[in-house]
Amino acid sequence: MSEEVAANNADVAENEDVQAEEHRIPQPDKITNKDLMKSWFRWWWANEVPHTFDRMLAPAFCFGLIPNLKKLYKDKTELAKAFQRHLLFFNTQATWGGGTLTGVTLSLEEARAKALANGEEPISEDMINNTKVGLMGPLAGIGDSIDSGTVQYIFIAIFLPFAQKGNFMGALLPFLCFAIATFTYGYYFTKMGYSLGRAAAKEIMTGGRMAGIIDGLGVLGLYMMGILAGQYIKIQSYLKFSISKKVFDVQDILNTILPGILPLFAVLMLYWYFQKKGLKITRGLVYLTIALVVLSIFYVI
Amino acid sequence: MHVTLSIWQALLIALWVALVESRILGFSTLTMRFSPLMTGMMVGFIMGDIKQAMIVTAAIQLVYMGFVAPGGALPAEPCIATAIAVPVALLGHMSPQGAIAIAVPVGLLGSYLYQFRFFLNTFALKPMDKYAKEGNARGLGFAIMGIPTLISFALFIPLMFIALYFGAPVISGLVANIEHGTLIHVLNSVGGGLAALGIAVIMQVIGKKQLLPFFFLAYFMSVAFAKLDISMTIYAIFGAIFAILYVTFTSKKSTN
Repeated sequence: MSEEVAANNADVAENEDVQAEEHRIPQPDKITNKDLMKSWFRWWWANEVPHTFDRMLAPAFCFGLIPNLKKLYKDKTELAKAFQRHLLFFNTQATWGGGTLTGVTLSLEEARAKALANGEEPISEDMINNTKVGLMGPLAGIGDSIDSGTVQYIFIAIFLPFAQKGNFMGALLPFLCFAIATFTYGYYFTKMGYSLGRAAAKEIMTGGRMAGIIDGLGVLGLYMMGILAGQYIKIQSYLKFSISKKVFDVQDILNTILPGILPLFAVLMLYWYFQKKGLKITRGLVYLTIALVVLSIFYVI
Repeated sequence: MHVTLSIWQALLIALWVALVESRILGFSTLTMRFSPLMTGMMVGFIMGDIKQAMIVTAAIQLVYMGFVAPGGALPAEPCIATAIAVPVALLGHMSPQGAIAIAVPVGLLGSYLYQFRFFLNTFALKPMDKYAKEGNARGLGFAIMGIPTLISFALFIPLMFIALYFGAPVISGLVANIEHGTLIHVLNSVGGGLAALGIAVIMQVIGKKQLLPFFFLAYFMSVAFAKLDISMTIYAIFGAIFAILYVTFTSKKSTN
């Protein structure tokens, strides 16, 4: 993915230097709280609908931005460029990642549109993409473990006794609580991202503290992925063999060497594959499935 | 209570599954997909036996408690599992445990259906790129939301309808046969290992090799402390502390 994005960005960046000097675009409209709500709602609504392996959630993110991009870029070529750059690969979690990044991106786009209108040096398309791409992974790691891993199950656990007694409120209440809570704080993240982005726009352009923030979120994101890997990947060996009437259980042997070695091995193989070949998710899925099927048919795992 | 499954009832359940699996009802469909509860409630409502449906669904929920989809790969589809298992259980007056035995393999098969949807959605990308290039907001909006929704409906409604209307009576017999066989072992192993994919994807997307030690730290913490049953919130707090420490120490070094 990174190669593709980088190649695309290089293309766009070249065009841009020429264009910025040549023509000014009309002044953008101001982005209000209502506009932020509109973009947040549209991203929330589209979220997983257009999910593909190639672009992941990029189209949904673009769908959220559409009405505001129209307000910012009243110039058809700039609008088309904005649509296109937000269709590049993007994947994150809906509230922590998507909410925050919807806000941050809108503030950066606004700064860019204003600069283009005033004939100043604009924030480059590259810069907007790098900020999105830098933050999407860490925020996804945090959001996945908090929203779907924790918040959701707190509500289910509270109301499950109703369901066990045959009361439909045991289903409706956890759903409503989850929907309302995530929608509310997601919108809060959008607003926060927008005001942070406005404050940070200059810093993002010059590097500075933003790198530290992305690093910090990267630490937390990778840390949460490690926890999820340890808790949710279930791969163990069922292989047993006997040498001179003594039975050896492979999983027991593995546990004495390094507990949890098989799930870790699976993740690292996939990570290594992505490092070598780029983010080819469909192929990763196919190879992983084939490996798991073949090994489990022979009860190796 | 005597319950039956008419054509209309099967269609309504299929429609519900399509609404959830297409994700057209927004982000909150996450919990409709991960948790069997809402689907169980709808099935009970459609088949006219909410009480029994909820009791069976609550038992299925316990199996899927704590399921997460890091990076978008869910190892099973509880919604699809419930949409098949609860009608079968209601029709056959089965115990909640019997329903679980049906739900688990169906849910594993269902996860492939959901992945297949990602593949089919690729067809919407071409019109998307075309409309984006033209700066056509309306067309772009339709390509992003309309086409994938139509694809999902075309995929899930017929399959679920056929499985329910023609399959429900035979499924319980079929599942009983594979319950302890190699097939179910394979499905279980694949389901258990698939989570590795989403995690590797996020690691690659974060893309900072020098931070990988924190992944290993967390992984071995969770393996070592597995018996202590530490909650995700506590782990998140540990993670935040490590993140703050890391940023503090590395930024100090660079200013000196």
